[in-house]
This record gives sequence, C-alpha cells and structure tokens, in this order.
Amino acid sequence: MLKDREMEQRLRNEARTLLEQGKVDWFIGFEPGSLKFATTPLITKDKNDTERLVINSFIVNNLADFLTQIKGRVGIVAKGCDSRSIVSLIQDNKVAREDVVILGVPCTGLIDLSKVEKLTGKYRDELDDITREGNKVTIKVNGNKKDFPTTQLLFDHCLACELPTPKEYDVLLGEPSPPIANPVAQEKIEKLKQLAPEERWGVWEKELSRCIRCYACRNVCPACFCQRCFVEETEPQWVFPAPRWQDNLMFQIIRNIHVAGRCTDCGECERACPVNIPLRSLAREMYDIVGELFQFKAGMDKDAPPLLTHYEEEEAEGIFR
Amino acid sequence: MANKKINKKDIAKLLNQWGQQFAVFVPSRESGVAAMAKWDGKDTSFLDWYRNTVVPPKSNFLPPMEEMFRFQKDKEGYQIELPPDGGKQLIFGIRPCDARAMAIIDANFKDLYQDPYYLSRRNSAVLVGLGCDNPSESCFCTSMGVSPAESNDVDLMLTDIGDEFLIEEVSDKGKELIAKTTGLKGATKDDEAKAKEAKKTSYDKVTRKLDTEGIADKLQASFDDEDFWEKVAAKCVSCGICTLLCPTCYCFDINDELVRQQGTRFRSWDSCGFPTYTKMPMENPRAEKWRRVRQKVCHKFEFYPMSFDVIACTGCGRCIRLCPVNWDITQVLESVPAKAKVRK
Amino acid sequence: MIKWLDFMNPRTDWEPKLVGFLCKWCSYAGADLAGTSRRKYPANMRVIKVPCSGRVDSLFILKALRLGFDGILISGCHPGECHYQTGNYRARRRVAITKRFLEYLGVEPERIQASWVSASEGGKFADVVTEVTNGVKEVGPNRLFAERQGNGTKAKKRG
Repeated sequence: MLKDREMEQRLRNEARTLLEQGKVDWFIGFEPGSLKFATTPLITKDKNDTERLVINSFIVNNLADFLTQIKGRVGIVAKGCDSRSIVSLIQDNKVAREDVVILGVPCTGLIDLSKVEKLTGKYRDELDDITREGNKVTIKVNGNKKDFPTTQLLFDHCLACELPTPKEYDVLLGEPSPPIANPVAQEKIEKLKQLAPEERWGVWEKELSRCIRCYACRNVCPACFCQRCFVEETEPQWVFPAPRWQDNLMFQIIRNIHVAGRCTDCGECERACPVNIPLRSLAREMYDIVGELFQFKAGMDKDAPPLLTHYEEEEAEGIFR
Repeated sequence: MANKKINKKDIAKLLNQWGQQFAVFVPSRESGVAAMAKWDGKDTSFLDWYRNTVVPPKSNFLPPMEEMFRFQKDKEGYQIELPPDGGKQLIFGIRPCDARAMAIIDANFKDLYQDPYYLSRRNSAVLVGLGCDNPSESCFCTSMGVSPAESNDVDLMLTDIGDEFLIEEVSDKGKELIAKTTGLKGATKDDEAKAKEAKKTSYDKVTRKLDTEGIADKLQASFDDEDFWEKVAAKCVSCGICTLLCPTCYCFDINDELVRQQGTRFRSWDSCGFPTYTKMPMENPRAEKWRRVRQKVCHKFEFYPMSFDVIACTGCGRCIRLCPVNWDITQVLESVPAKAKVRK
Repeated sequence: MIKWLDFMNPRTDWEPKLVGFLCKWCSYAGADLAGTSRRKYPANMRVIKVPCSGRVDSLFILKALRLGFDGILISGCHPGECHYQTGNYRARRRVAITKRFLEYLGVEPERIQASWVSASEGGKFADVVTEVTNGVKEVGPNRLFAERQGNGTKAKKRG
C-alpha cells in the first residue's frame, strides 16, 4: 500500500471536486508530515491544498476525531477503523450521515515505526527508506537493504483488524483488502491474562506510574467527544487531578468503560501515549468483552442503536443474583 | 588549566563515587521510554542508546506531582507539616538544550516570589552535561542560540572523544566537584583537538532551522488574525504533550486532598492547552482551541521574552517528535505573516 | 507529628465496609421490609438510595473502590418491572461490562455484586447482603489503591 499512486491520484481528484462543487465545506485527509515517514492531518477549505493529500503506510491518525469539532459538511478520508468510528458517531447522533462524504481507503495495515526502531536498532531518522511490496517490507539503512515480513512491522491493532475496508463509504478509492486477523496481535493481552489476578493489577500499577495525564489518549479518540470530561469535574471530583498511579488508573478504567461499544480498536490511544503505556491492552479487552457479552461490534451498522442504549429481554445472565 | 578525561569503562566507578554525596540520576529506559532515573549502581548501557529523554529534566526540580505540605485542623487552628528535605541531586547526561531550559525557567521561579520547592532542589543540584553526537531530525537547538555540544548552563560538560569523555569544568560548583573526584586523567592536546572536532560535527548535524528574527514583533502584529490562528490550530487535539514535556514550560495546578480534618496540598503539572485551563466560574476566555494554541506560541516567543529577555524555547524538538498529529512549531513560526492583517 | 489517617489499613478486627446502591422503588423498599420484618443480617452495608438502578454510573462503582470500600452492591427491580421501564436493563449492561473489565484487571469478582430485589423480597435482600458480606470477608480488605509496590490483589487464581 506504500505510495499507491492510483489511489492517491483518485483521492486528490475527488477531494478537489468535492470542494470545487461546494459539496463539502471542509476536507480532512493526510499530507506529508515534518518528520521522516510521518504524515499529518490536513484540514482545509482550499481546493488547492488537495494536491498534498497522500495515502501510504503511515496514515495513522483517526480523522473521525475531528468531526465533532468541525461545523459544516465534511469530506473525510477513512480507513476501515476510521469509517467505523464515523458510523459510531452517526449512531450516537453526533454526526449526520448526510453531512459527511466518506472517501474509503482499503487499508492493508500501517507500519509501526516503534517496531521498526526496535527491530533495526536504529532511530527512524537514521533510516534511508522504508518500502513495501506484497508481504514484505524493505528497510534501507546506510545503503544496505533488509527485508522483514509485514506481520513483524504492522501495528498490533492492524494485525487484529476485522474490517480494513470501510463498509460505509461514498467513494471507495481502491480494491477492497482482506482482514489480516493475525493471532500475534493478541499476544500482549493473552500474556496478561495468563498472569494471576493479583499480578495483573501490579502490572497496571507499574504502567500507569509513568502517566503524566496529558490526556492525549482521550483527545485523539473519536469516541471521547464530551464537552466536559469527567476528569475535569470538580463537583464532585471523581478523579484527583495529580498524576498518581491510582488516579491515572482510575482515569483509564472509567474512560474505557465510557467508550465501551464505541471504541473501534483504531490503536490511536496507545500510539499517541508519549510514555508507551500499553493502552490498547485495555481498549481491546473492552472491545472483546462487549463483543462476547452482547455480540456488539462498534460502528458496523449506522442504523443500529448504540451499545448502552440497547438491551435484550434476557442477557448477561449470572451477573445479577 | 588542563581539562580532565575519563574512560567510558570507568563511568560506573565515577557515578558511584559521586553517589556518595548525591542522589545520582542517569538516562534510563523503561518500556522504551527514556527518562532520568536513579542510578542503580551498575547499568551504563545508556551510553549506547541515549539521545534525549522523553521526560525533560525539569521533572527533577518541578516534579509532575509533589506534596507541598500536610495539614491537620484542630481546636487551635491548622497544624502544617512540611515535606522532608529531598537531598542533593546530580543529573548526569543532561543535554545543552535542557540545561539552557533550566536556566530559562529559573528566571520565573526567582522573579517576584522565590519558589522554595523549586529553588531548594535547583540550588543544591549538580548538572553534568553531555554533548550530543547524534541529534534528532526534530532538534533545532542551533537556531535558538544553543549548541548541541557546548553549554554554560551546566556545572561540568562532557564530550565524547571515542573511548573517553573529555570533562570541562564550567562552573565553580563543577570545579569544586572535580577537585574532590579521584580516578580522572589529564586530557592531552590531542584530546582537546578531538573534542573540538566532535563539537563542530555535532553542530553541523542539526539540520532543522528556524529564523527567529523579529518573531516577537510578527506575533504581536498577528495577534488578532483569527483566520491565521484557526488554520494553525486546526489539527491540534488539545492534549498536554507539547507543554507537559516541554523543558521550558512550568505551569502547575494546586489541589488539596482532604480526609475529614486532615489533608495534603499537592502541586502538579498543568497545561495551557487544556480546555479548562482558563475556566472560571463566569467564563472561559480561552474556550476556543485557536486561542489556546495562539497563547502557547505567543507565550514562548513573545510574552516570555517581554518579561525575561529570552525566548522560552531551546529547540529540543520534543514537541515535534511527540505530538500525536505532528504539529510543528517551526512550520507555524515560519508561516506567521510578516505584516499585521487589517482589522475587520 | 501528624498521625496520617489510613482508612485502608487492615486491622485484626476488620469488618468489611460495603456500599449498596439500592433503587428507590424496589430494592430500597425490599431492604426496608427486611428491617420491619426483623430479619437479622450483617450490618456492614451503607445504603445509598438512587431513583433507579439505571442511575448507577460506573463512576460510582469505581469511586467507591477508590475510596476504599471493600464491596459494592447494585440492586434494582427485576427485569420487566422497572418503575422507569428500561432503567434496569441499562444497569444490567453497564454493570456487566464494568464487572468483567475490572476482573480482567485483577479486581476480585466478589467485590462488585448485583441483584434484583423487589419491594416484597425482604428475605431475599437479607440473604443477598449476607452472601455479599461473607464473600467480601473472604477476599479481605480492599488494598487495590493502597500505596505499595505492585503487590496486586488477593483475587483467587483462576483455573
């Protein structure tokens, strides 16, 4: 998928047309970032900016995050996970379907630069180039090339992805791509489940000790759109503002419960965390709990009621006496 | 006066020696996150991978969370208990950009009010600087008047000259420390030449540039340009990463935690990027994101220089590296219009 | 020297501190009935009356754990009998995911309990509180958020 020129060209044309014809007020996509291999969100009203739009293996952000901030009709680039977040926002009545034009990107998974750094032992700006062909990724360092299987370098959430090609879209920019659904994606969580319960809590104590309460995890999440988050509430004060591990863990637990049924496992929370807390091990588990208990998957059907407003006559037996 | 040097293999011994008088902090990596942590007595592997920490060294002087005092209410009034003295710190491996940042925010903590918590740690600490030999693509220290390999803001400055470090005494505190330190060798003219060469190489490796000429005036002229700031702020998600992890940011919040008649007053990091930062009972002057983004940029490059004659940025590059949306201050500053837009 | 109150410190004469969120229309009335019927049951539960079990936000459950409560009970009308029609259905989903999620993290399952108790089930209420109290007594005091270095919880090993 790296630099799929055809998809990019089609995207640029579609985006330009949408703005030219006044079908949307804003267009949100990705453009090259200011760091090597990075991309950055492009949010624009200007049709000439659409020339800079890109599609590659580094388009990490979940652009649906911006939909609740922008007023007006929006044209938006969406990978599978992003499109599910958009559908989830439609289910929540935060966004009207007719106000978004979804340009779907069939995703073949994104490359995790921190995995690249770990495997090569080099920082990302010390690499010459990263190219991708089929099932392998070629990394060039100091003129030497080395191949890696893609499964070693994709994000865990991409490896676990069930819907890489958007189901809900106005334009699909390329051929649909199949889910990867690689079991290695669940390794972190499986390892955690093998620990005795008393050890598990200790793991979270240790991980959340690094948290500085930057709230990047919350702010990059499309499901977190509250004008006033519970952590900002002072009457009553649910969570103490200072970054003690106990309160950091409180924040994470409650945040994950609050986004239950709307989290699409896009992995942004874990990627955005500056201190490498394995947040996806929380988010994905909640995603699986919701799937197991209520057969609910976030963002799959825009007409379905959200998880916590729906109920069946009989379900979740054995929880209540 | 001749400089000293030390073999990299002897660093552990040196740190242990200093550990007799100081709590020694060295770069460490936990779960892939580099931060200054207490020296464990043996691990010097940071010499292989260390570039710069994620958490800036301000955390040693203005911790992410600290107890200011404990209090208890009784019949007479309030009894206050201050926290115990933290002891002297030695930060080993601080980069020139971060050391300069400490000097920049010192001005704030010594201004009208002398902050005892910050200053007691700061005044008793020793900073042992380490010159960069592998600056990151996000670094732009050279544009902010900082050299990656030289510093006047540390007590000792180390330069990598192959198997050894050259040690320069920068401050009186540094001189005193060296006078009491054993196991160091004298540096030769050859070593000095190697160090000079290494410093120049480091300087040239910093490729990201920013022109700060007249930036304060440009920002002042653009203050009311809402369209410009809306564009600049569009992709910001209002998290606190760029501010909390910035070595020259120092905002904090104070909260009390009460249990019946007792409590503790805490001070913790705060960020002007948070939507509720300026929230008051009647209004929030920076409710809109573009106002908060404008505040951050102007504070660092216009308001702080107005008060303290120095730009509150040392080009460490953390904000660029760690931002979840790759918002880039150097790109923003370069795009500030040169002339004021005519007011609507 | 200020004696720092550590209400989470276990003492040898420890009695569990429980909190019960009882819905006003059914469970609270049921609890009342248990009292007027002179049913004896452990006195460890502090009751918070809520208009409906659906009012119980997961925030309440977590805050109770954070404050140091050893066990939490959420009790409402039987499904289909909610005074507000659907409140207890919401509670069921919410409590289910909260309980499962906390168990994944290592919280002892005995700490978070839920029940359907109607206004006429005074006996059942007394039984529920007795069972919950005994369950919590077995897992011991809530040391989840105590200041220590990763000692984990006392949750039983899973088979």
